[in-house]
Amino acid sequence: MQPDAAALPRGSRLGHAIGQNIGLILAGAILALAVAGFLLVYSIEQHRLPGNFELTSTVNNAIPLVFAAVGQSFVVLTRGIDLSVGGVVDLANALAAVTMGKSLGGALLWSAVILAVGAACGLVNGLLVAFGRLQPIVVTLATLSIYQGLAIRVLPAPGGAIPPAYTNLLVNPNAPWALVYIGLLVLAWAGFRRSRTGVDLYAIGNDEASARALGVNVLRTKIIAYMLDGALAAAAGLFLAASATAGDATTGNSYTLTSIVAVVLGGVSLFGGRGSAAGAIAGAFITTLIVNILFFSHVNPLYQSFYEGVFLIVAVVLGGAIGGAIRRRR
Amino acid sequence: MTAPAIAARGVSKSFGGVKALTGASIAVARGSVHALVGENGAGKSTLIKILGGRIAADEGSVETAGPSLRIGTVFQELTLLPYMTVAENLLLGREPRGRLGLIDRAAMPRLAEAELAGLGITHIDPRALAADISLAERQIIEIARVIMARPQVLLLDEATSALVEREVAWLFGQIRALRDAGVAIVFTSHRWGEITSIADEITIFRNGSDVGTFTTIGEDEAITLMTGQALETIFPARFAPSSGPVLLSLRGARAEGTAPLDLDLRAGEILGIGGLAGHGHRALFFGLFGAPGFREGRIEREGRPVRITAPWDAIRAGIALVPEDRKSEGLFLPLSVRDNFTLPILRQLSRFGILRLGAEHATVAESIRRLAVRTPSAQQPVGALSGGNQQKVLLGRWLLTRSRILLLYDVTRGVDVATKHEIYELIAGLAREGYAILFYSSDAEELAHLCHRVKVMRRGAFVAELPADALSAEAIVAAAMRESGQTETPHAA
Amino acid sequence: MRTLTVDTRRILYAIAAAIGLFVVGEMAHPGFLSGPSVASILVIASFVGLVAAGQCFVILIGGIDLSVPWVMNAAAILLTTTSLGKNTGAPEAIAAALGMGVAVGVANGIGIALFGIPAVVMTLAANGIVEGLTLGLSGGFTCSSCSSYAPPLIQTLAHGSLLGIPDALWLWAFVTALVSGALAVTRFGRATYALGTNPLAATLAGIDARRMTILLYALCGGFAALGGIMLVGFGGQASLGLGDPYLFTSIAAVVIGGVNILGGRGNYLGVAAGAVSLTVLVSVLLALSMPDYVRSIAYGVVILALLLAYGRENER
Repeated sequence: MQPDAAALPRGSRLGHAIGQNIGLILAGAILALAVAGFLLVYSIEQHRLPGNFELTSTVNNAIPLVFAAVGQSFVVLTRGIDLSVGGVVDLANALAAVTMGKSLGGALLWSAVILAVGAACGLVNGLLVAFGRLQPIVVTLATLSIYQGLAIRVLPAPGGAIPPAYTNLLVNPNAPWALVYIGLLVLAWAGFRRSRTGVDLYAIGNDEASARALGVNVLRTKIIAYMLDGALAAAAGLFLAASATAGDATTGNSYTLTSIVAVVLGGVSLFGGRGSAAGAIAGAFITTLIVNILFFSHVNPLYQSFYEGVFLIVAVVLGGAIGGAIRRRR
Repeated sequence: MTAPAIAARGVSKSFGGVKALTGASIAVARGSVHALVGENGAGKSTLIKILGGRIAADEGSVETAGPSLRIGTVFQELTLLPYMTVAENLLLGREPRGRLGLIDRAAMPRLAEAELAGLGITHIDPRALAADISLAERQIIEIARVIMARPQVLLLDEATSALVEREVAWLFGQIRALRDAGVAIVFTSHRWGEITSIADEITIFRNGSDVGTFTTIGEDEAITLMTGQALETIFPARFAPSSGPVLLSLRGARAEGTAPLDLDLRAGEILGIGGLAGHGHRALFFGLFGAPGFREGRIEREGRPVRITAPWDAIRAGIALVPEDRKSEGLFLPLSVRDNFTLPILRQLSRFGILRLGAEHATVAESIRRLAVRTPSAQQPVGALSGGNQQKVLLGRWLLTRSRILLLYDVTRGVDVATKHEIYELIAGLAREGYAILFYSSDAEELAHLCHRVKVMRRGAFVAELPADALSAEAIVAAAMRESGQTETPHAA
Repeated sequence: MRTLTVDTRRILYAIAAAIGLFVVGEMAHPGFLSGPSVASILVIASFVGLVAAGQCFVILIGGIDLSVPWVMNAAAILLTTTSLGKNTGAPEAIAAALGMGVAVGVANGIGIALFGIPAVVMTLAANGIVEGLTLGLSGGFTCSSCSSYAPPLIQTLAHGSLLGIPDALWLWAFVTALVSGALAVTRFGRATYALGTNPLAATLAGIDARRMTILLYALCGGFAALGGIMLVGFGGQASLGLGDPYLFTSIAAVVIGGVNILGGRGNYLGVAAGAVSLTVLVSVLLALSMPDYVRSIAYGVVILALLLAYGRENER
């Protein structure tokens, strides 16, 4: 065809980049606002800026959710949802508490086993979704119940012990070393995004029927997504156990819903195919910072979930409106 | 004659009890272009899918010249992934690899740009999302993707449906080059002119099997073969429109992607709307039905202005819309024939919100009889009926509303010839009874034979009106395709 | 022989599962099938059934309501604190509790239908909002009136009986008839199924999808509140986290009752049978003195088993 230069305006590269990453950009903006809000509230309250201690505790508080949310994002990108995240976090947490004993070496070995157990939980979800052709929401609702049951079987009452060296390694209380794990997670994500499976994951989330017609191995890709999700949820459980220095088979329950919140705030579309782990990480930090802000602004803790709920709705509605407006303008 | 590159022998295929193919055979030689022609629903798309290995035949076999023959298919339904870039779509499955064997995402736009340029496409930005480019551009990218995979057999199913003349010329240039390089090409199209200009061989399909293969054949003869009867007998006899009152007028009505439109629709006439896909017909029909309504301008119902901002406004104003895609826009496939018929008239069939089942039953039975719907019972899920009978249920639903204005949007798509004939007779009968009918069809032949006059749309505007004495399929297509050197896309910002 | 539709067979499966579990219970623990035992199990099931009725409405249009737990909790505390345990204030208290549930449902529906917020997100946020308000306003259930009992009227409704059948079951039977009837033979029911099957086609057939969506979520909120009222009548006082188990159970009852989670298919009779099945399952495990975790695992396994059985049906 003859190029028709005058008639065919081309969007600038920057324009494309903004339009295609609008969810991530908005998540970054909300995160910046949350950080600013935290700094403001904190400095008014404490008459100084937050220091190393506050940074470390924020990172350590956020890191289980970071891992759970990135895990959730794998499944959400395929247009699924994983309600069993909380159960896997519980199970990993319980297993860590009863197996790790006293030595760091043993704890690390068991960590690998526990990650594999998490992946196996994900495998069960993936097989049921891919081969059983059941809806992800009902499959993971059922397995949530099963994994929670198993967790209580492993650790009927809170207790057990985590080696202090393990706690220091994962969530060092003196410096934000845990950022290293987030860095590794981002690197691993960047690699995954550039792998066959990574591309296929997005293709399935965009349009499963088309992806299949284009030769994408839908079953394999979905199963991998659920397994990665399970392994990352188990990692969240390990971080949680390390923070608490003991186990509890129910503290992980809340991660099902908070991971979904983090993913949504991070600009990952619940309709699949759009979003990224970076967004999910941002979402996890936003969620954690909101709790901090509420704490330091002396909001009655009983009202905490009220403000969180209002914030979620406002963020989703405004984010949708701004994203839509930017896309239309282009 | 050398062995064909690809051949189907006695292939049959059913979908849920409906036979799509019955013993169809074709053979395509290397370096030749083979056109499949036939009515909608004649089985061409199914055969293409079987040749391409997308679905398996129930009976019969597909033979290829070699076990590892590369077969590329351009499907009728676009398969581009909307929220991935043009480059990601083009290179899916063969992305460039960089360090550590990882996909080199940064290199993809440049690579895609170079490959597109190699095919003579320089106006589509590989960095754009597939969702953000026009329908025609998406179809071109779809074709380019398949060609880039260097197929030895190329299957094109309605690949020109959204393209204008210049783009079709580009595609045909590519097809000729591939043919000269020894590629076997199978091609379906509804445009006779395209078929004769490119095809080396033409196989005609009717009711799921091949009824003849030709190197040259005249259009009339082909149509007779396709339909099993002469063209004149498929369409109802022409009759003069009763010059009834104007039931519906548009004055400067503008929908998203259209120019302001003016139109008068009289009782007793069938007003055709023609033109290529994606040129604003849909916006016109759905605008009249309030889904969504027009952005500006006036709608008058028998001279009185009406506000139509939602479908129930339209229904209250006595307007009915039968959409093209009956599966996604019209019917509730798992629900019963009864439920599908009566949904818009439940208010009349209920008291205090509770349905009068006896009255409903009688109404449905009457409709089934009147439209000769072939169904075991009114309780049958409508999805279990054949395409033609489904379409009758949908038409029947709107006749029950007693709307006098019918918007028929490509209602004979995917309907077998016999049912088509019944639907034409029904439409003509309705017009004689005084219904006002606005009729869009992607089939120019149908427009030319059924309508009293035809307005042709291009780029969202009416560009021609053909009165009864000037009506012909050629005239409609010519008006729709006439290039005017303007911009390519109707809604470029 | 007249072949049964898939929907009818699913209802039969759910009923068969309930009966089968009763039989297992009798074998494991003789006396399980005695009148009082069955009646008390059914009364517990009726609370699930009431909440699941609302959940059924929204799942039928492909939605979901995660705000059920705290709507129940809020209804319970609202009932006791406004009536202060007296019959004289009961009508206003009931109206306030139901009105609160409906209002939350309307808000959910508006968020979903008008603002396009995914149902999971909207109802999750609503749950948090109601939780925060309930806890905040009641000082974490420590307010002076928070320890009030439910009015005797409500307690009687939850515990009393008429003609040898518990009042709660009369109420549930009434609700079952109402909901099943509404879905089967009213305009509302037809519109619900149409919307759940194909929202675009429903809109093009003149159904106001937004209004219907808001209405269905409002009903769901109302039924959750009703469940909360009955529960506080049964327990006497409102307790923190009273609604928590009902989120999972109400969705599970709907799903094993044969309602498609994507909408458009299913019936309340199946859901009621699902509520009974889940309750009997718990009772059987209790009768066998199984620990809690077994119940949790058994729940999941039973749901998956039934879903896989239904899945086979679809492949025909």
